[in-house]
Amino acid sequence: MKMRSRMCRLQFWMKQGCLIGLVIAIAFGVFERPVVGQSRDVLVFAAASLKDALDDITAQYQRDTGKHVRVSLAASPTLAKQIENGAPADIFISADLDWMDYLAKRNLIKPGTRRNLLGNKLVLIAPKDGPAQVKIQPGFPLANMLAGGKLSMADVATVPCGKYGKAALEKLGVWQSVAGQVVQAENVRAALALVARKEAPLGIVYQTDAAAESKVKVVGLFPEDTHPPIIYPTALTAESSNPDATAFLSYIGSPKAKLLFEKQGFTVFRQ
Amino acid sequence: MSWSSLFEFSQAEWIAIRLSLKVAIWAVGTSLPLGVLVALVLARGRFWGRELLDVCVHLPLILPPVVTGYVLLVLLGKNGPLGRLLWNTLGFTFAFRWTGAALASAVVAFPLMVRAIRLSIEAVDRRLEDAAGTLGASPLWVFVTVTLPLILPGILAGAILAFARGLGEFGATITFVSNIPGETQTLPTAIYTFTQSPGGDAGALRLTLVSILISSVALFLSEFVARRVARRVVGL
Repeated sequence: MKMRSRMCRLQFWMKQGCLIGLVIAIAFGVFERPVVGQSRDVLVFAAASLKDALDDITAQYQRDTGKHVRVSLAASPTLAKQIENGAPADIFISADLDWMDYLAKRNLIKPGTRRNLLGNKLVLIAPKDGPAQVKIQPGFPLANMLAGGKLSMADVATVPCGKYGKAALEKLGVWQSVAGQVVQAENVRAALALVARKEAPLGIVYQTDAAAESKVKVVGLFPEDTHPPIIYPTALTAESSNPDATAFLSYIGSPKAKLLFEKQGFTVFRQ
Repeated sequence: MSWSSLFEFSQAEWIAIRLSLKVAIWAVGTSLPLGVLVALVLARGRFWGRELLDVCVHLPLILPPVVTGYVLLVLLGKNGPLGRLLWNTLGFTFAFRWTGAALASAVVAFPLMVRAIRLSIEAVDRRLEDAAGTLGASPLWVFVTVTLPLILPGILAGAILAFARGLGEFGATITFVSNIPGETQTLPTAIYTFTQSPGGDAGALRLTLVSILISSVALFLSEFVARRVARRVVGL
């Protein structure tokens, strides 16, 4: 009798032991990809609209050099604030000059590494089965096209795409007629997703985003003179101590990367 | 969308799941001793400020999680008073690291853990402890050999509840340590990112199902283990 109860107790605690062992294994990251030596992966903070291009470029970089690069995508103001608060980013790619200036003023980037990388265009989009093309000119009937629905844009006060969009609509004299119907998303991809899901009949995003999403179509192109030039600057962060960061920054400016950016529809500035 | 492709998890999704589990386990593991201590103090202690401690412990339960995350950022971010101190003395920072995500989860789940443990402490028959005391055991020994086994079901239930809550923490995590894939992108923030990305619905659905699965298993396990241990300790 006593022997059997001791066996039962042993089996009970062995089962608990296995469970505890599993928990400890997960806690100590036993199932995760091992970190090679001391070097951490390069961490790039990039504007949301760069998702597809950077997916391709980092995959190509891994094939070419065997090195893994992590990309954190969000709206440029979100990323700039995170860097200001000490986020361990190595490279920052913003969708407008203002947010790079924001960091430069606070000495958070290495000034010698800053350069203008890409250009883009602003477009009006609708779901695939939406209205036909419209010529975007001063006083065009945007409010009528909305017909009571929402205009999906990125946050017009802080996010580059929203700022460009509002500037364009103001220049064209139609901002007042639609201001009350704007849905401000956290970043340009979220604005894109709203239109793709048909939650909003129209949206303003970059040409590259419209091309990346098959569920939307471009119904109008904003003339370049209606908004400040769309420029994506890039730089190394001041805190970056990763030796691979400079290498990846050069790679982004290389002809191989240029092809991948142009495939998405970006204009690549001459280096 | 075919059924087979629904269950193909991408690399990013696996990373989010593993990171979430790791963060939640560390959150519970490190806060459990403190949770037992605080629950004891609140259940048995009679001192000035006990009510204040009670309120402080329960604050994260009722505050909006974003507020909790913001307070953590202000205090423990690289530019915050405590954060700067930690960085200068130990070279260690919580900001934008998985350890920060674990801290956010721990803080938010702490009240739940303390409540569960406190309930089981209050249910302990003091006469058993007194009896052990009269037989010559020191207060510490009484705690280890009499009280602790009796409150073990409560501790386990509290731990698993805190684990499930920590796993689902979003507002505090995204405010304090944001959403960096591989470092701080836990299940909830990954799902959020997917819902904001075009074509991310499949990934969001997969992760949602995983979330529901893990939470259900955790709750089931919590009940099961608590009952098994109670049986062994109480001898029912």
